[in-house]
Formats: sequence, C-alpha cells, structure tokens
Amino acid sequence: MGEKGIIISGKFSEILVRQKHDKEIELGELLICEDKNSKILLQVYDLLYGSQLSSLNLELVSGMKLEEDSELEFLDEKIRNYNLALLKSLITITNKKVISSKSLPKFFSSIREVKKDDLSFITKPKNPLYLGKLRSGSKVLDVDVFLPGKKVLSHHILIPATTGRGKSNLANVMLWSLLDENYAGILVLDPHDEYFGRNKIGLKDHPNKDNLVYYTPESPPPGQRTLKINTKKIKPGHFNGVINWSDAQREALTAYYRRFKKNWIEAVIMEQDTGMQFHEGTLGVIKRRLISLLNLEFYDNKITAKGVFDTQAGENTIKDICADLEKGKVVIIDTSSFSGNVEILIGSLITTEIFNRYKFFKSQGLLKNKPVISVLLEEAPRVLGKEVLEKGPNIFSTIAREGRKFQIGLCAITQLPSLIPRQILANMNTKIILGIEMQPERQAIIDSASQDMSSDSRAIAALDKGESIITSNFTRFAIPIKIPLFDEFVVERLAKPDAEAELEFEGISLG
Amino acid sequence: MKFSHIADCHIGAWRDPKLKVLNSQAFFRAVDISLQEKVDFILISGDLFNSALPGIDKLKEVVKKLKMLSEKKIPVYLIPGSHDFSPSGKTMLDVLEEAGLCINVVKGDVFNKKLRLKFTVDKKTGVKITGMLGKRGMLEKAYYEELDRENLENEHGFKIFMFHTALTELKPAYLEKMDSAPISLLPKNFDYYAGGHVHIVEKKDLPGYKNVIYPGPLFPNTYYELEELKKGGFYIYDNGEIIRKDIVVKKIITLKINANTKLPEDITKEILKELENQKIQDSIILIRLYGILESGKLSEINFKRVYDYCNEKKAYFVMRNTSRLNSKEFEEIKIKISSSENIENSLIDEHLGQIQVKSWDKDKEKSMIKNLITVLSSNKKDGEKVYEFEARIKEELKELLEI
Repeated sequence: MGEKGIIISGKFSEILVRQKHDKEIELGELLICEDKNSKILLQVYDLLYGSQLSSLNLELVSGMKLEEDSELEFLDEKIRNYNLALLKSLITITNKKVISSKSLPKFFSSIREVKKDDLSFITKPKNPLYLGKLRSGSKVLDVDVFLPGKKVLSHHILIPATTGRGKSNLANVMLWSLLDENYAGILVLDPHDEYFGRNKIGLKDHPNKDNLVYYTPESPPPGQRTLKINTKKIKPGHFNGVINWSDAQREALTAYYRRFKKNWIEAVIMEQDTGMQFHEGTLGVIKRRLISLLNLEFYDNKITAKGVFDTQAGENTIKDICADLEKGKVVIIDTSSFSGNVEILIGSLITTEIFNRYKFFKSQGLLKNKPVISVLLEEAPRVLGKEVLEKGPNIFSTIAREGRKFQIGLCAITQLPSLIPRQILANMNTKIILGIEMQPERQAIIDSASQDMSSDSRAIAALDKGESIITSNFTRFAIPIKIPLFDEFVVERLAKPDAEAELEFEGISLG
Repeated sequence: MKFSHIADCHIGAWRDPKLKVLNSQAFFRAVDISLQEKVDFILISGDLFNSALPGIDKLKEVVKKLKMLSEKKIPVYLIPGSHDFSPSGKTMLDVLEEAGLCINVVKGDVFNKKLRLKFTVDKKTGVKITGMLGKRGMLEKAYYEELDRENLENEHGFKIFMFHTALTELKPAYLEKMDSAPISLLPKNFDYYAGGHVHIVEKKDLPGYKNVIYPGPLFPNTYYELEELKKGGFYIYDNGEIIRKDIVVKKIITLKINANTKLPEDITKEILKELENQKIQDSIILIRLYGILESGKLSEINFKRVYDYCNEKKAYFVMRNTSRLNSKEFEEIKIKISSSENIENSLIDEHLGQIQVKSWDKDKEKSMIKNLITVLSSNKKDGEKVYEFEARIKEELKELLEI
C-alpha cells in the first residue's frame, strides 16, 4: 500500500532507505514507518545512488556505453541499481498521541508515503495563526497548518529569506488570518506599501476590514488615515537606534527635554536657553539634524511642518494606534516614502508607547485580558544588527529581550539573519524559513533553531518560492509547509460574499 | 465672495438662565458682525440649537435674527449637528427651512446603493455648497462610507463641504477618547471645508484638503471650555483670506488654586485676595481648586463669603470646580472602607432579604452568606486529590445548609 522503500541500515539520525524502483522519493518528503502500535514520521534529508556493482564495473560499463556506443543493458536493473534516501526520525505517533522518537524503526521495515489520516494530531489550536498547507517534498497535503498565534507572536517570529522567495506573500497570508481574530494587535511597518493593497488585492479586501487600520502620509483611500505625528510626542529616547548622537549632543537633548518637556524640539530649533552651557556647534548640529529628519522648515522665526511630523496635527495618532492595537487590530503604517531612519523613528515612537502601556497593564494585573502585540519589521538588522546594538540598545532590542513578559513580540523579516546577535536569534522562538541560498545565513538559522536542523541545510537551500520550513518551540517538529499564493488565497475566501444589508440614510433629504 | 463660517452655537445649552442667555447673545453678535462685514451668506456647521426641539423663547430669538438676515437677502446654509439632528425627522431646523429662514444643504439621492449628495448653489455668488449631517455616536461615519465621492470631487467651481464630525488627524490630545473619523472619508478637491462639532479653533491644510476649518463654539459650553477658550468665535472667508472673529460676550476670570498644605480658611482668604486684585464687574469668575487640604473639610471653605463678595462687586456669574480637590479626612475614610472585608459586609447588607428562605431572619441570612463564602473560597490542600477536594466541599456545604 503505497510502499516507497525499505529501511536497510543506518543510525538514529541517519536512517538509510532503499527506494522502490517505480517510486520517487524527494528531498524533504515525509514518510511513515508503521508497526502494530505506532507510526514513526520520518523525513528525507538527503538522496544518493546505490548499486550492487562495484564502482570499477560501473565505470567500465559507462565507458563502453559512451565510447563504443554499445547497447548494453543491466541484467535485473531494478534489483542491481537503485536510489537511497537518508531519513531522520521526527516523531512517533501512538493512539493519536505524539511523542519525540526515541527508538529506531524496525530493521527492514517498509516505509510508505504520508497520508492525511496519519496527521490527525495536527489540529487547529486556540487562537490559530494560519500559515499554509503541510508539504511533503514538493507535494502539498490537504492538511492546514496553524500555529498557536498568541504564544507564537509574543515569543517573536523570524522570517529569514532571500529576495523573491515570498516573504511578503507569507506576511500577507498571516495578516489575513489575523484579521479574522482579535487575539493579536499587529503593527506593520510597510516600507513597500504592499500589504493594504491600494491598487491590487490586499488586506483591504478582507471581509472583516473593520479590523484593519491603514495610515499613509499621502492621499489615504476613503476611510483610511493620514499619517501625522505631532512633534510634542517625540522624546529624546525615541532616537535610539535612529540617529547616533555624540555624548555632548545627547546631554544637550536631555537638557532641552528636561527644561521644555513636550515643547523641547521647538525649543531646540528656536534656540531657546536651557540655562546650561552647550557648545554652539553641538546645538547647531542637533538643530540641523532634527529639522532634516523631521522634515521641518524654520523661516522667519516660524516652524512649518512639511511632512509627517507636524507641530499642530497628529496629537492623538500614537495613542489611536495603540488603542487599535489593544483592540486586536492590524495597523499598517505605509512608510514607503520615508527614509529608513524616519521609518525606524515612527516605529520606535509607537512601539515605545505600546511597550510602556503593556508594562503598566502588567503592573496592574490587567495584561491577561489584552491581546498580544506583534511588530512586523522588515530588514530587521537595521535595529537588531550587531553593529547597531554595539552603539546601545533600542526599543526593538528591548522587546526582543524582554517583550514576551509583556505579551509583545517582534515579527522580524530579514535576508541576513547572521547579522543579528545569536542571543536575539535564539530568543526568536519561531522561525518561518523560506529559501536561503547563502550558507552562512542558513547556518545562523540552523544554529538557533528550535529543533535539530543540523541535517537540513540542503533542504533549506532547495526551498522553492512559497515553500517553507517552520521551526518553533510550539511545534513538535520542523514542519514543512506550502504557503498559498496570496491572490488565489483571497479569491478562494471571497468566493461567497455575504449579502449586504442596505443602508438607510436617515436624516438626509433624498429625492 | 465673502461668507461667515459659524458652528456649535448650542443655543439653549447652559442650564443656568444667566449663562443660557449668553449662547444667544454670542449668536446675535456673530450675525451682527457678519452684517457689518457685508457677507454674501452664512454657514452654520451644525448644532445651531442644543436640541432638536429648543424652547420657544430661544426659538423666537433665533427666528427673529434669521428673519432679519432673510430680509437683507443673506442666505443661511446649515447642516444638522449631533445635538439638533433628530432621527425621527422632528427637528426645528426643518420648520425653519420650511419658513424659508435657512437652507439645510444635506440633500441627495441614492444611486447604485451609494449616497450621492447634491449641491446647493448660492444664487448670488455661484458657490456650490453641500455637506453631511452630524449624528450622535459618530453614526454619520456609515454615510460617509457609502458616499459617492466622484461626482462631488469632479464638480467644477468654488465648492464648500460642510461637516459636523471630529477628524482623527486634527483631534487635540485632551479629546483622545472622542469618536472621530479620518479626513479621507471627506470628498477631496473642495475649496473650503466648513467643520463643526469639535470645540477647537483649527485652521489647517492637509494633503488633498485645503482650508479645513473648525471655528470652535460661538460661546464656550462647559466649565473646561470657559477656562481654556475664554471666548467664542467664527471665521470670515473674504476672497481667499480667512479671518478669525473673536466673540467676547463676557470677560472671563479664571482662578486656579493649589490646596496642598492649606487649610479651608487659607483657601477662602486666597480666593478673596486674588479677586481683590482684579476688576470683576460683569465678569464670569471661574474658581478651580485642586490638591489635598491639609486638614478640615471642603464644606469649610467659605464659598458664601466669596459669592457675597462677587455679588457686591457685581460680577456676572461665579462658578467653582472642586472635582480635583480632596481633604485628608476624606482620604482616610476611603482607605478604611476599601478593606475587602468591609466591602463584602456592605455588599451583603445592601442585598439582604433577596433570598426567600423560611425560618431565616436577616441575621441568619447574613451568617449563612458569610459561611458560604468561607466554604466556597476554600483551597485544595497539599496532597489532596481533586475528587477528594470536591467531596470535602460538598460535605461541608451539606452540613452548613443542613441537607
């Protein structure tokens, strides 16, 4: 019944299987070795050739075929030449209970392909986070893979992948799934303005779009919000990880903040007196950098806002965003028109506020009733990289270290995980690995994975677009999945729209 | 082209007759200034009245003024606000419109399930005006979501959009809890956005939206507004120039006194001393006290003496606010009451008599409730199995309830 091969030798971490001649075994494929009481789930991590002929004979026969054009055929070819597969044991399934494998499958037992019934232990958890369908090699099984969202999001997620492997597609699928629920508030810093779907299918098409909030600096679509942040909401600490101030500059910033509180930026630009002595050059640099970063104009003793930071508008933006996150909404900030520094500053402002609020909720015993918060951040080494952190911590590194105590996690996307310190990588308890070609990057992930992935380097390198391996503290084994193509995924889900009730325009003279 | 933009008159809002009359006076003043300025028309962005059906006396005053404008051929264009809108349609604004005293510009039709607003064209200037009413609880947001923007945005000519909605982007910090809508719900490409509802003075350009204006109330409507705004006002648009017109119907004097480390008599003296230094005749006096009195009670502050002094000096009106003032005595009582046992006892006392059991008097009922609480709050002992714990509790309850 679907027999694919027989176990012929090996050891616990390296089970050698001879492949049946007319069957095909793929790298990453899931296989089952079954006996009366249990099933062992195995995964292929390498493939090689086997032959009963000695290598000298093989070389001779191949030479004759090549050089003399002879029509030599092997006698009993199916028996003499074959493929071998190296498997590792993932889990043992007994009466629908799943335990880590601790013994070898029986010698010479046959293996077969995995079926949906074998995987009935994969169920939809409470607070589900949908990621895709289970994958066995390149075959997609009709088994939905969900992670326990609340736990996974608060314990940080890392999405490492090379460009073009489907990071945005994965994020879109995850966010779509989260829009169905209210257990998590997600802050998305979107440097490519690709999640909302202004001019294409996107999260805006979700039936539960009330759970989605979109901020953009220019021409928001109807019902969405113009991103304006009042300069009074910025504190010197928000620049950590954004601008490298010298010690003297930092002291001057602190002095201005102490003296002028929320009006400190205005005071710096207007060159008001703090009562302390600072070098003229120090103040000049601070003033210039603030004006440039915040896109302000100072002319005729007046400060005019030209961009997202405003001296009049946006007094409640940060609080509104935090309030929406606390209601379990997905808040997308379109940062596509900003420089990296401005994007980090905005992220820092919001994240600091929500972190402080959640710290307060914890101190008041109110945290359990709050949704978890996750901050989706692209190019994570910009704030979590070794070089950046050598210059001092920032709110993102603080969250990476201690956020889970306060139900706040990061969802960090990167092409270069090796730039993130090992301690932080190890803290990211779920890794959704897409294809990575560079060996050092794969190694950084393997070294910090939640499961033993020491034999999976090849499988990671071979991941095609949309294929992924999830390694997590909250899964029993590293799960291979196929992430659906977002556009098709949405179309499938929108196939049966609900009948909309017609709105009555009470109070408006119609006709 | 010249027009006035007024909002939030709230005529009839204050309960006290002396303050109630000031709402009306502010409106008359705004109309008079508009007449002096020779405006072509007047916009009222919601809440002309404080309710859909205002008192006859207030209505009479307003009708008189609107009639005067009508005779001078100065049209008044308005939208209903969250206070003077009525879902049943029974609003005095309809009566005023039927009488030809004003024009409600919230008109439209439904086309392809979308709300298509129509423009009201001012005959003299050709200005095209439309707008959206305000409803309580921001229910108008659903209307905006169904709005056909295209026909509004593509209309040529000088266009005014009137609205009575708090805009998220312009909401000040102290109104953070107020329901609001993003400006993107409003149609773009208008020349003037005449706002109302939020009692702030704001004049701002946002991307795609120029001249977004909140004139604030014509007269402050709460203690806080009196304290912070001190006056009302409106805007006049004069061929591209937007000019603020303040309306001061009464001078407002605010006293903010920190009561920390002070006795009630000190506070009384301090208030009087502060008042002696000011000309209070015909003024509204606001006295805000905050902090914790060193000793004594709030009632020991001699407000009567303060009021007598103000009357003697012919102040117009005196208001005090002690919501943030406490006395140490009050604090101590609060702590005593807040012990869990006391709270439990007072709650039991409050609900006694609701259980109808024969042979139980109030004392018996109280003791049974307390015993039940004790039994039911018992914890599982170390080493005790769950089924043993359940059996023990059941046994104790049987014994207590004699069953």
